[in-house]
Amino acid sequence: MDGNTRLHDTPDWIANITIQELENNPYPFYERLRKEAPVAFIPALGLYIASTKEACRAIAKDGETWGGFISPAGGRTFGHPNVLNVNGPEHKELRCMVDPALQPRAVDGYVEDLVRPIARRYVEAIEDKGAADLVATFCEPVSVRALGDLLGLQSVSSDKLREWFHKLSVSFTNAAVDENGDWANPEGFKPGDEARAEIREVVDPLLDNWEKNPDDSALSHWLHDGMPEGKTRDRERIYPTLFVFLLGAMQEPGHAMASTIAGLWTNPEQFERVIDNPKQIRRAISESLRWTSPIWSAVARQAKKDTTVAGVDLPAGSVVMLSYGSANHDSNDYDAPSKFDMDRKPVPHIAFGAGPHACAGTYFASEVCRIGLEELFETIPNLERDETKEIDFWGWGFRGPKELHAKWEV
Amino acid sequence: MAFKISLNDGERSALASADQSLLDAFLREGIWLPHNCTQGTCGSCKCRVDAGSFDHGGAPFDTLTQEERDAGIVLACQARAQSDMLIEPLAEIDDSVTHHPMRDVSGRIAVLEDIARDTRRLVIELDAEMPFLAGQYAELNVPGTDVWRQYSMANAPSETRRLEFHIKRTPGGLATDGWLFKSASVGDQVDMKGPLGNFGLFEAQDDPAILIAGGTGLAPMKSIVLHALAHDLIPEIFLYHGGRAQADLYDVDCFRALDAEHPRFHYRPCLSEEAWQERSGMVTDCVLEDFSSCKGMSAYLCGPPAMVEAAGKALKRRRLPPRRTFKEEFTEAAKIAAE
Ligand SMILES: Cc1cc2nc3c(=O)[nH]c(=O)nc-3n(C[C@H](O)[C@H](O)[C@H](O)COP(=O)(O)OP(=O)(O)OC[C@H]3O[C@@H](n4cnc5c(N)ncnc54)[C@H](O)[C@@H]3O)c2cc1C
Ligand code: HEM
Ligand code: FES
Repeated sequence: MDGNTRLHDTPDWIANITIQELENNPYPFYERLRKEAPVAFIPALGLYIASTKEACRAIAKDGETWGGFISPAGGRTFGHPNVLNVNGPEHKELRCMVDPALQPRAVDGYVEDLVRPIARRYVEAIEDKGAADLVATFCEPVSVRALGDLLGLQSVSSDKLREWFHKLSVSFTNAAVDENGDWANPEGFKPGDEARAEIREVVDPLLDNWEKNPDDSALSHWLHDGMPEGKTRDRERIYPTLFVFLLGAMQEPGHAMASTIAGLWTNPEQFERVIDNPKQIRRAISESLRWTSPIWSAVARQAKKDTTVAGVDLPAGSVVMLSYGSANHDSNDYDAPSKFDMDRKPVPHIAFGAGPHACAGTYFASEVCRIGLEELFETIPNLERDETKEIDFWGWGFRGPKELHAKWEV
Repeated sequence: MAFKISLNDGERSALASADQSLLDAFLREGIWLPHNCTQGTCGSCKCRVDAGSFDHGGAPFDTLTQEERDAGIVLACQARAQSDMLIEPLAEIDDSVTHHPMRDVSGRIAVLEDIARDTRRLVIELDAEMPFLAGQYAELNVPGTDVWRQYSMANAPSETRRLEFHIKRTPGGLATDGWLFKSASVGDQVDMKGPLGNFGLFEAQDDPAILIAGGTGLAPMKSIVLHALAHDLIPEIFLYHGGRAQADLYDVDCFRALDAEHPRFHYRPCLSEEAWQERSGMVTDCVLEDFSSCKGMSAYLCGPPAMVEAAGKALKRRRLPPRRTFKEEFTEAAKIAAE
């Protein structure tokens, strides 16, 4: 395939879009994409983007035609083979490695005891302060501590886990390529490389120990499950997927909690209702995932054969990025999609993806968010937005509020 | 002709006639559906209709918006079936509480006395028992009309045949000004149905409770206090009763005696428009003064909607967990319908 011919066909408004614009606010560009070019080649990325719910779902669900494929920057960040970019038996093996601890039935067995004390601890640390940036003091720490403890990384501090996902995220979203298809910003991979090296330094000794002394931590299971007696899984098969976890799975529940609070702050009546009636927290989280999808545009698929989606012919080998954050604003499914509204008709969102590569952590993530917000709202029911500070949403690959300043009477 | 109304749990169903609310049909079968007012004002009885035709009855648009109607939501206390239906309550059904089925009962007025300014005690001797949970209410029929009004039982639930009510006169009100403060007298027959309502003390609790009552909002609180003290259900109780002046307070001696007898019970009347030897000020301000934090407590609020709302806000400021705040608003249906 010749990139230049496609470039030639590309209208200016698509040819000129920059990653920076998308990171600041992807919605206007995507609104036009959904209307005019639901599947479009984006030169700045060197791949196609699917922007409507219908196109995203069709591609994600069709595992015959489409295989999981990691964006080039993602591949550069995680290495191979990771759960996102393998298919067939290899994918199955990695899902068999990560899935058991994340099955709803398994999660129900441990999630209350795991997450509630964590959420309580972090809310206790701020409750008498009267003001806080909830992203840094609550959403991110609860998110990383919950998964960290599940994986067996109790010895790694929450701040270190946060630092790791922030660094990995910088590399993962360093997607821009120049006209030759080379990295536009190669030094953008440095933070990810640093984090990876440090992660191996910290995690290797833990794996050494679990090889001899297995326990019930998820990582210990990753080493041992499905392996013949006396053998453990090769670390080179573990690390790339562990990096996927240490980025997305660490970061996204935090994004989701923060976006839920930010969304509720746009609708005081619904915010009050949720505070008064914690049973509605689930519904608020679900609407928030639709409103600001944390994995906004970070996963892709590659065509295994020639195919057509939304009237666009895509030859075998074409890579299409699935912009779930845009699909969830599709006006075919949602009236006034940019409005946070818990009472809208509950049309299922696609924030966790679909098909064989759908999120493995859907249930776990939702439960972490629910318990986190339950504890926060129960302990600080007089939580208010600090109106003097802006709420700045950022990100195109991953999206959420950068900071979330709250205040309350103490 | 009766229609079969099924819950989406695939198990429970009730038969409803065309002129009977869905809620009424279920409660008579002894199947509990959440509800808080049976007059279309609280919204707690909302159900999604999965199949069947119906009319919305008297559901006000304030409670059930056009969007909700478009989405197939009904108020179970107002909607009438026009065919078999499949419905799904929006609020969760709490199966841990055993409710008494609603029934029709009749009785005679045994006591009707003035106890405070514009306030009467009404005691009805029933022909049959009407078991209830402390805090619940009954609906009384205004004689000669098809109008029903809600009044909360004030006696302990151990007494199921002699029910006490506290009635506040509403100027121009049909049930109060037009009946209980006018024509009603001892010996008259009264038709009623009950018990009703989600509000009350349904089980023992570990957290201390703040009870805030405005006017005759004291009625369900009296039932709760008597029940809790008799059966050791709440470790510590703070009862606030708000009125404008001493003339608005009633049952003061009864509560003072309980206060003296039970170290765990504290009675704190507050007057908003009269200075006296005890608390003055809005009842919610008195609560704010008394507690710097309400963490780990629960609250029961009952009275006029504005008071209940203010009290809810005040308790949030003191970080009482909203999950543990229970509210009963004495909304006036006729006024809402007219607005
Ligand atoms: C769950 C629940 C429990 C309750 N428990 C108690 C209790 O224990 N004790 C108690 O005292 N009360 C209680 N109430 C309130 C009670 O049910 C009645 O609402 C109240 O007594 C007034 O009834 P009414 O028939 O006298 O007045 P209504 O006839 O209902 O009139 C109410 C008000 O609306 C006005 N109004 C009526 N029609 C119109 C119109 N067309 N246009 C404009 N204005 C109009 C009237 O002037 C009056 O001010 C409870 C309410 C609920 C929902
Ligand atoms: C609210 C938080 C989260 C959101 C919004 C989210 C969303 C997503 C999305 C959109 C995908 C890609 C799906 C696709 O390709 O169609 C994904 C993949 C994945 N997620 Fe999540 N996720 C979240 C949290 C988590 C957590 C906490 C875990 C683990 C504990 C997790 C584990 C995974 C895994 C393993 C994959 C790869 C699946 C595969 O390729 O087979 N996620 N997630
Ligand atoms: S609106 Fe139906 S019970 Fe209150």
